[in-house]
Amino acid sequence: MTDIQQTVYVVEDDEAVRDSLELLLKSDGKPVKTYESANAFLKDYSDKMAGCIVLDIRMPGMDGMELQKKLNEKHSILPIIFVTGHGDVPMAVDAMKEGAVDFIQKPYREEALLEKIEAALEQDLEQRKTLDEKQEIIRRINSLTPREHEIMDRMIAGQANKVIAIELEISQRTVEIHRSRVMHKMGTHSLAHLVRMVLSVKDLID
Amino acid sequence: MTEAVCENSEVTVLLVDDNPQNLKVLYETLKDKGYRLLIANEGEKALDLAHRHQPEVILLDIMMPEMDGYEVCQRLKADPQTADCAVVFLSALDDLQAKVRGFNLGGADYISKPFQSQEVIARVKTHARVIRLERELQARNRELQGDQARILNSISEGIYGLDENGVIEFANPAAGQIAGVPVDELIGRNFFDTHFATASDTPAGLPVQMTCRQGQVEGQRDIRMLRMDGSGFPAEYRATPKLDDDELHGAVVVFRDITAELESERELQEARELVQEQRDQIAHTSRLTTMGEMAAGFAHEVNQPLTAITNYARVAKRMMGKESPDLSLLQETLDKIEAQSHRASEIIRRIRRFMKKPATGKEVLSVPALLEDTRQFAEVDMRNNEGGIEVTVDENLPEVLADPIQVQQVALNLIRNALEATRSADSWVPVEVTARLAGNSCVRVEVRDHGVGLPEDAEEKLFHPFYTTKDEGMGIGLATCRSLIQAQGGEIGFERPDDGGARFFFTLPVAGAEGEPCKASKSAQEH
Repeated sequence: MTDIQQTVYVVEDDEAVRDSLELLLKSDGKPVKTYESANAFLKDYSDKMAGCIVLDIRMPGMDGMELQKKLNEKHSILPIIFVTGHGDVPMAVDAMKEGAVDFIQKPYREEALLEKIEAALEQDLEQRKTLDEKQEIIRRINSLTPREHEIMDRMIAGQANKVIAIELEISQRTVEIHRSRVMHKMGTHSLAHLVRMVLSVKDLID
Repeated sequence: MTEAVCENSEVTVLLVDDNPQNLKVLYETLKDKGYRLLIANEGEKALDLAHRHQPEVILLDIMMPEMDGYEVCQRLKADPQTADCAVVFLSALDDLQAKVRGFNLGGADYISKPFQSQEVIARVKTHARVIRLERELQARNRELQGDQARILNSISEGIYGLDENGVIEFANPAAGQIAGVPVDELIGRNFFDTHFATASDTPAGLPVQMTCRQGQVEGQRDIRMLRMDGSGFPAEYRATPKLDDDELHGAVVVFRDITAELESERELQEARELVQEQRDQIAHTSRLTTMGEMAAGFAHEVNQPLTAITNYARVAKRMMGKESPDLSLLQETLDKIEAQSHRASEIIRRIRRFMKKPATGKEVLSVPALLEDTRQFAEVDMRNNEGGIEVTVDENLPEVLADPIQVQQVALNLIRNALEATRSADSWVPVEVTARLAGNSCVRVEVRDHGVGLPEDAEEKLFHPFYTTKDEGMGIGLATCRSLIQAQGGEIGFERPDDGGARFFFTLPVAGAEGEPCKASKSAQEH
């Protein structure tokens, strides 16, 4: 469905940690891109990015938590693995509430980190797949004419053809024609499926 | 005829003549002249009256029956009570021999008969005055001697008068008390044999010898002297030569037992050491507290290189797992591991040095190096989004003499306070740390922040123990800082810059500077 290249984005202020992590991930065969600050990453960010972020929670300048907030504002779906220090558990908990997928405490075992990265990439893939589906639904919705859109909203609301015809002051036959076009354009035969599709993208449309 | 005639007179004159007519004339002549007049008509009576009343002047007839004037004079002079009376002979014998005999017997003067009343009055007056003055002089001398004796007796230091061989000629009661015997047992003894065990072996090297032999003033403290019973005591003495017209006659030694004095000095020293020890202890506790507060920061700081090492090690392993490992890349990775382990041990070394107890003591220090080290230390504890710490040091700043750990402790404390004040004010202005020469031999370090500033009562309380403006503070930090800086011979204080925030400073003496270079001028700013 998608063949976007997944990359591990490492945001870490400590040069040695950054360099060693880059080598490690590369030796594991993962595409890696590193950033020495949250700002540097933010500058580079685009919604085309796929993969996950390994983010140091403690950094001078903008810290990891702040970067997470900024990315949330941009509707980023990149999963974030926070790297924390010994005393940073409370911060990590806050980060999880903000939607981080996981956190790992320094110094970490490679296996643990790679496992978390794998999981994050998996999640990204899932999210991306769902997102692609949703985007397809939105594309289909956008292909409806205003009249068809109006009819669809009433269908989803559960109005019968007859009611729709009376309220819109058109013939029941016309309603039926619009209705079959909506079903066709949306690629479904079942009203239940249509309802599910529209509801799944409701937050994206509004 | 032996009555005292004039009660109130100051001067007593005794008239002695066997001839009542002569006595009458003399009496008439001298009455109303302010004298107390006594009269006697024969030698025995005269002697008796003189002994009892000690007249200043005695007018004495030579030619008398029973005892003549010469004998009376002789006996008057033999009696200590009357020896100083002025005897003025009265006689018709106007020959040289008689006069010479009279003078030889101690007579003061001679009046020939028949006498002229003017002459009698004049001579009595003269002699009365002379005797009067002599007696006053003697009384005064006695008084002085008494004073002297009282002073010598009451003084708590022992005093010896020694002859040139060291034989004790004089000792005051205190000397006897210190030696442990009555004073008269000391007189005649040899000072050196009595008080020094080594007197027979090395007499020349003994204290006081130089004074006795060569007339040098000399003194020592805390030397061991012996009591008569052979027990020893620590003594301080001063010996001054006894000189008589540049001729050496021995020495005067003033000495005292300083056992109690040494004991209190020792106690004072002990108390000082205890204070020092407690200050070091408090300083150490305060360092531990600081480290505790910074623990999370340090853990993070140590974890960075450890994380990097773990990563590199794993990378190295992977490389070696390959069929033909790239050895130069492997070498590079191992070098990185080495560098990171140095980095970790450097952090730990710094922590350990800071926690060391007690502090290492004063040494010659470079202030810029110390401040840079402290900056790195303080940054460990910095939160995010802070302006950081800027260190600016004057070029050619001389080195200072101070305890490096204690100075770092103070600098770290001030910098951390400044960071906290900056944080509380949500400010991003960096904390400025500067060092410059103040005066000729004093280095002044300042820590300036643009934070919340200081409370109004800071002047009175800021450096006092248990005063704190922080919610979680104990109020030990600045009080400890002050005692530490004072121990370095420096001053500590603060100022309120016009544009807000706070400026703390401390001073340290330049290595090799004389005296207390950081005192005085700066002390006005210290509260």
